[in-house]
Amino acid sequence: MSAADSHTRTVDAFSAYLEGELPPEEKASLEHHLATCIQCRTSLERFRRTLGGLGRLKRTAAPYSFLADIQQQINRRSRGRFFRRRWLLFGRIPFEWLSLAMIVAMLVYYIVVLQSSPTGVKPIPP
Amino acid sequence: MSLSERLLVARLVRRDEEAFNEVVRQYGDRVFNLVLRMVGSRAEAEDIAQEVFVTVFKSIDSFRSEAKLSTWLLRIASNHAKNRIKYLARRREQGHEPSGSDSGDLADEGKAPAQSHIHGPDVLLEAAETEDIMQQAIATLEEDQRLLVVLRDVEELSYEEIVEITGLPEGTVKSRLHRARMTLKQLLEDKFK
Ligand SMILES: [Zn+2]
Repeated sequence: MSAADSHTRTVDAFSAYLEGELPPEEKASLEHHLATCIQCRTSLERFRRTLGGLGRLKRTAAPYSFLADIQQQINRRSRGRFFRRRWLLFGRIPFEWLSLAMIVAMLVYYIVVLQSSPTGVKPIPP
Repeated sequence: MSLSERLLVARLVRRDEEAFNEVVRQYGDRVFNLVLRMVGSRAEAEDIAQEVFVTVFKSIDSFRSEAKLSTWLLRIASNHAKNRIKYLARRREQGHEPSGSDSGDLADEGKAPAQSHIHGPDVLLEAAETEDIMQQAIATLEEDQRLLVVLRDVEELSYEEIVEITGLPEGTVKSRLHRARMTLKQLLEDKFK
């Protein structure tokens, strides 16, 4: 095998080598070449750094309004069939507010109806 | 597909809006990041990522349960991103936009104007600068190679997942990915010569 061939073979195997996918004999022969070839060693180092740079690209989160924007899109395109406005305000049914309103209503009912009614339950005087 | 995913999909098929919100909350960042790395522009990425979820809402019936929901979503995202890249390239060819605009605002982010012209190995240590250069390098790859680099080296997906997303045989994925990586390496070398 010519020198040029072994450089090419080495470089072609960089990905498989770094991902640990080379069979043992090929790995040994690649490492043997690397030990004697500064050109391929430098090339591998740069290859490794390129992959490192890609892996370090920061994760960018979707914008804050992402969900609301999509809901609005679907609402518009379905001509109001899905994600109607009131849903958009809370993102879902406002169960907390509904239950709070229910409790207040029951309290008012208790105070107004039961307490003021002459037929309301009162303790029997001894 | 796990049981919880099966249930989620069943709710999506019924057009359960809360189930859909869950999907956006769960996968929104991933889809957005993938698309952003593909097109390089935040504004384009927002637009495409929204479109991806609108498509999910519309075509959940075509989802086949032998696939994972995340894989299906990323396949839709990949296709939308690739189409947009082609569309933007066509527009540029027709002279509607200045060249390089698709790597636009992301590359300008978080970088001091005075530093943007400095070149040299030291600059490699500057995280923001390196990120810009990397993003610009990715943007020079043709869309299929771009996708493979983003899926494997940025999103760190398994080859199994990438095969499912792209529909390419594993051998093709690996050889194209290797070529893309070599191209990036060469571009970065030229940049710092
Ligand atoms: Zn060599």
